[in-house]
Amino acid sequence: MSERVTNEVAVDQALDALRALGIAAGEVFLREAQSGSVEIKDGAIDSVIARGERGIGIRVLEEQRLGFAYTSDLSTDGIRACADTARRMSGVTEADKDLALATRPIDDADLDIYQAGIVNRALVERGNVALAVEDAARATDPRVTQFRKTTYSDSESTTIIATTTGMRGSYRESYCGAMTSAVATQDGERQIGYHGEAGRRFADLDPKRVGEQAARRAVEKLGARALSTQKLPVVLDPWMAMDLLRAIGPLFSADNVLKGRSLFASKVGQRVASERVTIVDDARRPRGLRSAPFDGEGVATTTQTLIDRGVLRGYLTSLKTARKLGVEPSGNARRGGYGSPSRVGTSNLYIDAGTDDTAAIARGLDRALAITSLLNLHTIDPVSGEFSLGATGNYLERGLRSHPVQGITIAGNLTQLLGAIVAVGTDLVFGPSGLGSPTLVISELSIGGA
Amino acid sequence: MTRTPSISAREAGQALRTALSRGGDWAELFWERHETLQIVLDDGHVEDAISGVDQGAGIRVTKGERTTYANGNVNDVDDLIALAGRAARGVEEGGALHEVGEVTPDELPRPSTVAIDPRSVAVERKVALLRRADQVARSLDPRVSQVTVSYGESVQEVLIANSDGLHRSDTRVRLNFAVHVVAKQGEVLESGFEALRGTSGFEMLSEEAVAEAAHTAARRAVLNVGAEPAPAGTYTVVLSSEAGGTLIHESVGHGLEADLNLKGLSVYSGRIGQKVASELITVIDDGTDPDKRGTAAMDDEGTPTQRTVLIENGVLRTYLSDRKHAAKLGIPRSGNARRESFRYLPICRMTTTMIAPGSSDPAEILRSVKDGVFVKKMGGGQVDVVSGNFAFEITECYRIRDGSLAEPLRGATLVGQGPKLMSEIDMVGNDLGYSTGTCGKDGQGAPVADAQPTIRIPSVVVGGKLK
Repeated sequence: MSERVTNEVAVDQALDALRALGIAAGEVFLREAQSGSVEIKDGAIDSVIARGERGIGIRVLEEQRLGFAYTSDLSTDGIRACADTARRMSGVTEADKDLALATRPIDDADLDIYQAGIVNRALVERGNVALAVEDAARATDPRVTQFRKTTYSDSESTTIIATTTGMRGSYRESYCGAMTSAVATQDGERQIGYHGEAGRRFADLDPKRVGEQAARRAVEKLGARALSTQKLPVVLDPWMAMDLLRAIGPLFSADNVLKGRSLFASKVGQRVASERVTIVDDARRPRGLRSAPFDGEGVATTTQTLIDRGVLRGYLTSLKTARKLGVEPSGNARRGGYGSPSRVGTSNLYIDAGTDDTAAIARGLDRALAITSLLNLHTIDPVSGEFSLGATGNYLERGLRSHPVQGITIAGNLTQLLGAIVAVGTDLVFGPSGLGSPTLVISELSIGGA
Repeated sequence: MTRTPSISAREAGQALRTALSRGGDWAELFWERHETLQIVLDDGHVEDAISGVDQGAGIRVTKGERTTYANGNVNDVDDLIALAGRAARGVEEGGALHEVGEVTPDELPRPSTVAIDPRSVAVERKVALLRRADQVARSLDPRVSQVTVSYGESVQEVLIANSDGLHRSDTRVRLNFAVHVVAKQGEVLESGFEALRGTSGFEMLSEEAVAEAAHTAARRAVLNVGAEPAPAGTYTVVLSSEAGGTLIHESVGHGLEADLNLKGLSVYSGRIGQKVASELITVIDDGTDPDKRGTAAMDDEGTPTQRTVLIENGVLRTYLSDRKHAAKLGIPRSGNARRESFRYLPICRMTTTMIAPGSSDPAEILRSVKDGVFVKKMGGGQVDVVSGNFAFEITECYRIRDGSLAEPLRGATLVGQGPKLMSEIDMVGNDLGYSTGTCGKDGQGAPVADAQPTIRIPSVVVGGKLK
């Protein structure tokens, strides 16, 4: 087998390669991950995937110009070539006086995001999680007959970041998740219900809850009818609210704000949402699925209240965008892997729990629509804030379910949506991508239909 | 140790034997080297220049109904054999041992031509194209407030070998030149987007083509910022051939993927030979369509790509298949097993999917509608294959009044149910327009193209706002 250097040695070699090229400001990012997934079919394991990855990304800052290169080849030659390419790339970009690499030491925060050995569990134990998900779904309702896909997955990864100027940090994290798409059948009609959850520790995962929720999602759509075009109050349960919150995330990006691509530009201190709404980005949430001690540039992460009782308080920043805005960096330069550059983004973004009894509020509405699934969320344009989505839902009369509906659209603008939130529930839940929300009631949205 | 440029037949044979050393019916090696370059001009400045290489392999072993797949970054033959050993250890022991057939390399014809390898083109020329696009977009209208232009270059070399003795390679050179424009009018912001994408060489990015894409993106942003919100409701809709093929991709294509049909979960399950659409509808998937974004010489199991007629004059003929599902369903392999990279198992996917042209004059189709909506460009879409419900985004559209285009509308979506919509289409034009995208399925992205003629849908739900 070829000689395999340790992660720390690979990082040192990359720093040496940068110095040998005479580069004063360079950064090395290393990610190693072991991950796996188990998919089941007809009550047995159908496929098992074991995945390994290891590579580095090198950033070079020369004359305030930034170059980036990555490689999975961690041989001495591979690392040297990567450093050289990064320098070459810095010759392609333009200078920006606000570009910088991290210099401050990183605090030693324990965010409880790592459980050793999560990927080394026996196959049968991991397969059993997926089987338990399907068992729970079937037990929830006899109309649940099939599954589109049920998987259990897990991963363990190590991240190291170091600069030629002496900043160095590393952390390990673990992840496990289970998801299923349950299919319910009745009188020739088939409906699908998706649900997935994840945790940092094996014991945090509740396969029964995943199966039950997916089954409920599928069964509640059976008997769906058309709905006429109209305006209606809308109830978003936490999972549906998270889907829309994900689309709101880019509005807080300082990069979008500075480039005139956010409706929140120059709105700090102003009311941008209903006073019931508080939105927080918390990269330090213990066991949070997007918690990390530092970001993709090696800057210590933070907890930031972005909207406080309806008023915009600030933006998410990287080193460069913080300098441009004249604020402290919030540590939100998120990085997907060694091959991706960092981009300003959210960590654990959530709408804080409110105090409203949303069920009681729904009972006070003559008619309303509770959304049960949304199609085409990826097409929401964060620049315009406009959304127009396919949907299914439950038509409610005085808070009680009258019948399910399908083939409809809901449309609005994300900023208007934030202003139209008339109730915020107490039931804050976090989902598998670090997003969190309680149940929300929206005063009115346009529904397109028959 | 130096980098291995590819995997020889001898080395592949060794890896496959290792993979089957503890049992298993069949083994496969997928090796990949992926070089990328991305340059982004944003806010008037070249902000990003990213170059990289990712090299790795995946070893698949099947035994009975179970598949084991081990994958990872691989830099030399020793890494590869270690990976094969890892796959073998994942296989349950017992049963007969299977021999590996003699691994014999062969070559497939390449459907796409690459006259100019983009890696041979000076980076200054790529930057010049970005600047040209930026300048064209900004000069169109004072309401253009922001422009982002990106150049993406992807060269994926793959080698596939299996225990039946197959040993085939392919190189997919893909380019992606995208222009995103923001227009501002008062407090309203709107986006416009256009991209040039293909499996082709640098010759596809002429200065004229780049300028036209930039102009289109800017024109769309300006049009939308001044447009009225689309009114929600049910309308007669004409989809222009220029709109691209998101409709066929979402409303029908996904439902014809063999994996869903084996599970009996698609609205098209068990319906081969039956009428599933209007007689005017013929649907084709063509992985050999030269230079298109979804095109390759072979799929990611080494099966040659082909032109597959899926629906012929309204009758369902076959599904899009990979090896496993073709065998289980008793249909021919269609060369539609695709994977995002060596990190994934292949799944049944589309390549270039289209509704074949019909016989109506596109101008006549527009004139036939008294009151309706004309869709000139579609964006992304999504389908729930189990119910057939789909939605797709419209990025450029107009009201039709008395057979002519009237005011532009923004923020529209089309929703419907695939088989229902396909049975209702009542006019199909004699033209054909293409579009490109990245399809997401089971967490994997795949470059695709789609196409359609101008079509008329008598009644369909258009999402939008109510006053």
